[in-house]
Amino acid sequence: MNYPRTTLDNGLEIIGEQNPDAKSVALGFFVRTGSRDETPAIAGVSHFLEHMVFKGNADWTPDKVNLEFDRIGAKYNAQTSDEATVYYGAVLPERQERLLGLFGSLMRPSLRSDDFDTEKKVILEEIALYLDNPGFTLIDKAQEWFFGEHPLGQSVLGTDQSITDLTRDQMMEYFTLRYAPNNIKLVLTGAFDWDAAVRQAETLTRDWEPQRTPRVLTEPEPRPAVRVEKTDKYNRAHLCWMTAGLAEQDPGRYAADVAAYAVGARRGSRLYWALTEPGIADSAWFDHWSKDGGGIYVGYASCDPTRSQEVADLLREALQTAKADGLTEAEVNGSRRKIAAGRTLHGETPLGRLMSVGSDWLYRHEVNSLDEEIERTLAVTVEDANDALAALKTDAALLAGLGPIEALR
Amino acid sequence: MSDPTVSNLTTHTLDNGLTLVGEVIPHARAAAFQFLLPAGAVTEPGGKLGLSSMLENMVYRGAGALDSHELSDALDSLGLQRGGGADLETTSFGGSLLAEDLPEALSLYADILLRPHLPEDQLASARTIALHRLEALEDNPSQKLFVHLQDAYFAGPHGRSSLGTPEGIEAVTAVDLRADHAERYKPAGAIFGVAGRFDFDAVVAKVKDLFGEWTGGAPALPVPMPRAEGQYLHLPKETASQEQIGVAYPQVAPDDPAYYNATMAVQVLSSGMGSRLFMEVREKRGLVYSVFASNRAVRGAGLVLAYAGTTPERSQETLDVLIGELKRLVEGVTEEEVERARVGLLSSLVMQGESTGARVGSICRDQFLRGRVRTLDEIRAEVERVTPESIQAYLEAHPPKEFTVVTLGPTALEVRA
Repeated sequence: MNYPRTTLDNGLEIIGEQNPDAKSVALGFFVRTGSRDETPAIAGVSHFLEHMVFKGNADWTPDKVNLEFDRIGAKYNAQTSDEATVYYGAVLPERQERLLGLFGSLMRPSLRSDDFDTEKKVILEEIALYLDNPGFTLIDKAQEWFFGEHPLGQSVLGTDQSITDLTRDQMMEYFTLRYAPNNIKLVLTGAFDWDAAVRQAETLTRDWEPQRTPRVLTEPEPRPAVRVEKTDKYNRAHLCWMTAGLAEQDPGRYAADVAAYAVGARRGSRLYWALTEPGIADSAWFDHWSKDGGGIYVGYASCDPTRSQEVADLLREALQTAKADGLTEAEVNGSRRKIAAGRTLHGETPLGRLMSVGSDWLYRHEVNSLDEEIERTLAVTVEDANDALAALKTDAALLAGLGPIEALR
Repeated sequence: MSDPTVSNLTTHTLDNGLTLVGEVIPHARAAAFQFLLPAGAVTEPGGKLGLSSMLENMVYRGAGALDSHELSDALDSLGLQRGGGADLETTSFGGSLLAEDLPEALSLYADILLRPHLPEDQLASARTIALHRLEALEDNPSQKLFVHLQDAYFAGPHGRSSLGTPEGIEAVTAVDLRADHAERYKPAGAIFGVAGRFDFDAVVAKVKDLFGEWTGGAPALPVPMPRAEGQYLHLPKETASQEQIGVAYPQVAPDDPAYYNATMAVQVLSSGMGSRLFMEVREKRGLVYSVFASNRAVRGAGLVLAYAGTTPERSQETLDVLIGELKRLVEGVTEEEVERARVGLLSSLVMQGESTGARVGSICRDQFLRGRVRTLDEIRAEVERVTPESIQAYLEAHPPKEFTVVTLGPTALEVRA
């Protein structure tokens, strides 16, 4: 593996993990922007803009964009989170130039009004789609309840109202500031041609203007509470437990991940034996999600509404017991090895590696090889994992419920 | 007998009828494996629908010398990313892990498949889990739609779902589980597949050692019987935000000579964002977030499934446009469309070759549906033979019609076929 990198005059950083044995090339533009960079008045603009990027510009009509991706056989998509917007794709190596040429041009969209109006309908459909998914809806609400006014409480999709009200000019203003070259990384993985990619990127981004694009990382002030939203829209009770976790920049996140997986992997974990295996909950899991400058631990379960209190109690009890008594060597070993195997599988394809390399660079300005990642995961000791659990803020947690239930304690 | 073929594919059938298929992926660190047993919902006894899923759940609750917890820990200690489950025609077992741990995992799976304890005191939990999965289906509208679409499309056992029915699940006893295990978990007709880094001869020796004494064959699968005419079914759900729309219609089976023409016609509809459904339904009209058509195959039959999800006010228009596009296929496809479909299909096949999990699923499925594994070169040659004219000839002989339509949501629609 080679790790070439360079920075263009306009501030655009290009970074690669070169694997000559790969059968494909993956590349992506990682924009350091997401719902946490929005004000409530433009809630959902990052995600809506992600859709609008595919509508093209003077060189690329929307139809031409879609056709070109298909003509080069690209496997591609884009995703928006609370803190990053990523445009990514993979092609066979001989089509690298066309994929980079297309994505590179798309990163300067026209945001035409008629496209904006049509795509607004698609966004409203996407919001409706997720409203029919209670697990997603609850976790979104839980973050809003847990973080309150803090930017991490902002929903990625926005609301019917905020999307309906959003104007094309507001989007353009947001775009100009956030899609500046110094706020974007171009990442390549697999069997790419580095020199050709750098030359092409220089030409493509020659007119991109740097901007001051700060992200103020204010300390979240979590709001521990018990909250229930009663609705007959859903058949099952959906529960979410949330407390503060570790930042992407915190080396302790490896231990936090291993500990959380031992407590809450979908199979073989504490929650599995307490809730899923005996058939008390339909599903139950607990996980650790690192974010920029902070993070969260998230637990989730769905169950028969009549058993929601019992499930909430068992979930909290499992966490308390793990925190108080610690995990065993066997539990930590199983967790480490499952995570290591999972990373290996995820890293089999250039597209899988692209996400890891991109977030390494976006958050930490470093790149870890797959071997290094696995090594750090396997190096987590029982003591490390138990220290992570000992620091778990179980007394500053949110317990949230959604479904045909009245209340939780 | 060993019949090595070109590329990195190898197959070998044991004397007891278990077929081994393997694909070496150069530079892989992992191995993905799968046991595919022809024991799914279609061969469940009529009064016990849901039995396959319950049995699959129960065989992990202790096997060989290990109890439920020990077995789970043993699988976890290998770092196994477990997959599998009961399906319409099959039940599968396996997962992915680092290559060096494969032999140990195979030993554990020999216990799971051949020597499960099926502890009676765990039956209540397995039953509750099965019932919960049915309840949870209510909170997953698109999944529920496809369960009902399959039932509306097929007459007979292929209309079933591996989720079963409440009555069937309640009726399953410990005796049933033992009898079912003895009858349907059999080597003849079963498949073991592996992809990634492994030594095929060593794997064959290991599997022979572990599974060589296993004998017998599961009951034959019933012949799939699509209903003769399309029908429309609406499942009311007042509280849903979106209307779910599902459409099914027949196409040729995977072993039919015309299969590649059929599958390329569906690619023209839905291979990428430049294809017809996405362009007409989403891009031009903004009617949906999600719309697609896909090939689905069971052994001996093929069908096309199409889907759209939209808010109720726009659902009639969405259904009309969707059906309109399906019917318009027969008016012809262009060379440009065929070329895009071809490039998309071939490039995704090459990229699939980078993933052990994707490859093992693919080779096991080929072996199950076609009785052999296709090489990449064979698929390439077949796909390159497809032309607008050959697709046209196929569509004229098998025009999309007799649509089975299911909708789930606040509003019943009208199918204007």
